[in-house]
Amino acid sequence: MTSGARRILSAFLVAAVSLGILFPSTAGGARDVAAELRRERGRLLEMKEREEKTARELTEALWKEKRSKGRVDELQEGLKRQRRLLSRIDRKISALSDRLDRVEKAVRELGAAHGRARSELRRAEFVAFSGQRAGAWDLWHPSDRERERHFMRVYLAADAEGVARITRAREKKEEELTGIERQVAVTEKKRTREKKVGDTLLSRQEAERARLSGIEREKKRKEKELKSLRAKIARMESVVSRVERQVKERERRARKEAAGKSARGSAEAPRRFASLSGGLSAPLAGKVVTRFGRQHDTTFDVTIENRGVEIEAFSGASVKSVGHGEVAFAGAVSGFGNVLIVQHGGGLFSVYGRMESFLVKQGEVVKKGAVVGRLPESPSGKSVLYLELRAGGTAIDPTSVIPLDR
Amino acid sequence: MSERPSLWWIDWRLSPGPLVRETIGRFLLFCLLGFALLTLLLSGGVSRILADRYAITAVLRAEVPSGEGEGLARKAAALPPVRSATYRDPETAWKEFLRSYPGLDPLRGAGENPLPGYIEIRIRHDRLTEEDVEFVVSALRAVSQVDQVLAGEEWLPRLLSAGRLASWACWGIFGAFLAGFFLFARLQERARAVALAGDFAFLAERGVSAGRLAFLRAAGAALSGFLLAALGAAAGGGALFLSLRKFPILERVIGSPADLLLPRTIASAALFSIGVALLCSATSLLGWSAARAGRK
Repeated sequence: MTSGARRILSAFLVAAVSLGILFPSTAGGARDVAAELRRERGRLLEMKEREEKTARELTEALWKEKRSKGRVDELQEGLKRQRRLLSRIDRKISALSDRLDRVEKAVRELGAAHGRARSELRRAEFVAFSGQRAGAWDLWHPSDRERERHFMRVYLAADAEGVARITRAREKKEEELTGIERQVAVTEKKRTREKKVGDTLLSRQEAERARLSGIEREKKRKEKELKSLRAKIARMESVVSRVERQVKERERRARKEAAGKSARGSAEAPRRFASLSGGLSAPLAGKVVTRFGRQHDTTFDVTIENRGVEIEAFSGASVKSVGHGEVAFAGAVSGFGNVLIVQHGGGLFSVYGRMESFLVKQGEVVKKGAVVGRLPESPSGKSVLYLELRAGGTAIDPTSVIPLDR
Repeated sequence: MSERPSLWWIDWRLSPGPLVRETIGRFLLFCLLGFALLTLLLSGGVSRILADRYAITAVLRAEVPSGEGEGLARKAAALPPVRSATYRDPETAWKEFLRSYPGLDPLRGAGENPLPGYIEIRIRHDRLTEEDVEFVVSALRAVSQVDQVLAGEEWLPRLLSAGRLASWACWGIFGAFLAGFFLFARLQERARAVALAGDFAFLAERGVSAGRLAFLRAAGAALSGFLLAALGAAAGGGALFLSLRKFPILERVIGSPADLLLPRTIASAALFSIGVALLCSATSLLGWSAARAGRK
């Protein structure tokens, strides 16, 4: 529960008490002050709602800012990575180009060598053919001719092998060339792709920066607005407090005059609750998860003033009246959901918030331990009951008068 | 004591003039035949020419070093049918090859020599047969350093057949000359017997038997034929010796002059002389009988 909501609830309760829902009007002269008090409290309630809304928006803006900064940082990091990647790709392309040049040169040289070798082979074949034809009828040196023929075959085979070797080397180089060209094409495609990714990241970063600056502007605006609202609320609260003091003073005088007996100080409030007939009992079995008084909220890093406690119990659990009394109010209150207020008499009230449903109606008398409503169902299986006790308009710690599991 | 005339060389005493001419003619003929005989004997017909033309080439593997090639050549030369075995290193083989195909020289430029070394093996002329060639080829093929043996398997049988035919032709011509001599000598003997028939009849009347007369005439002809043939062969041999000394190139076709003094050569010449003597004797007898038959 936010501090704003608690303030609203407090204001509501104070207003309800002050406006005579709980007390009948005892003096006609107090009507003007009460009306003024109602107006002021209405305005205060409205301002607090606005403050709550603004605070929510500010919190949301802070979250958005945090997320946006995170995204900007991520994008920045992504851009750095992308630049490094692009630089690596450029180096690779450069190395591939150098290699491509070298291999192309080698292919050209091998092509020229291949041409020369083929031409020499053809000339050698021609010489061999001419020589063989000339020596075909040389019967005088048959063995010499035979040896020459054999050596010519060896010679031509060596030449042919040379041509084949060059051809193989050229084919290998051409394959290498094709491979490098393919690599270059793939790398360039990758570079284009990565460049596009980089551009996208850059544009996203720009957009995110623009969004962030918008969020920051919004945050500043909200902060300013919140500050202004809080100042107004503070002023308003001081006005309301002043009026309240006046009202209380009048009531005190009226009660002194009328009953002259049972007025007790607010310092005795816990004792007043303890003195209720049969004492007080726990509204349900559960554990106190939010304590009474000033508490530090780590989530939002703020200090809030709790006027009651929050008790965690099973979803749908029955809520019982802490003591004998009459239902003074049953309805929805902003920030507390369905709220039930039981008047125990003598200026003592118990307030049950965040309920799902009521089992009693306004004006109905309830006994101690009577079921007055139920907690809402929750997927987690746990729900929370808000319990606040007031004595003479002053909130007291429920755990001081009711045995609750902490 | 009655003195009986000697019947030896009766023809010389009865007709000396023609006989001198005959003898000179026969001597010249025998010189010629002796020359031809010794030439044929030494050359073996055409086998020495063929042996000079024919060679087995053992192509070595490219990695065989020169020292090893020369060692192999020495081992090949030790084979019985081999006359000579010469190792030629790759460089020499390349130069020889380029001499035969000069157009190839500029083609390889700085290219390395693709030819391996080889051993050229010459067979002795008297062992130039398919069996001996096969023996040498088999011995060479068994050597691991030898890559290939070129022995003219395709054309060697034809070459040897042609050589045999040529040798037979030479010997045939020689035989024809001998046969011609025989026929001519027979005619000469017959003619002389007819011419001296009166003298022979006179001798018969005085108690010289015809058989004895014929025998003695044949013996004289044989002796003179032997002597003439021997002298002719010696003269022919001398002429051949001088020719071979004067024209050494002929040694590659005919053979060494020293071979003339080999016992087998001398024995062959002696056999030739004996043969000629027998022929002369036979022609004398045949001429005698032909003359007597004609008179009857």
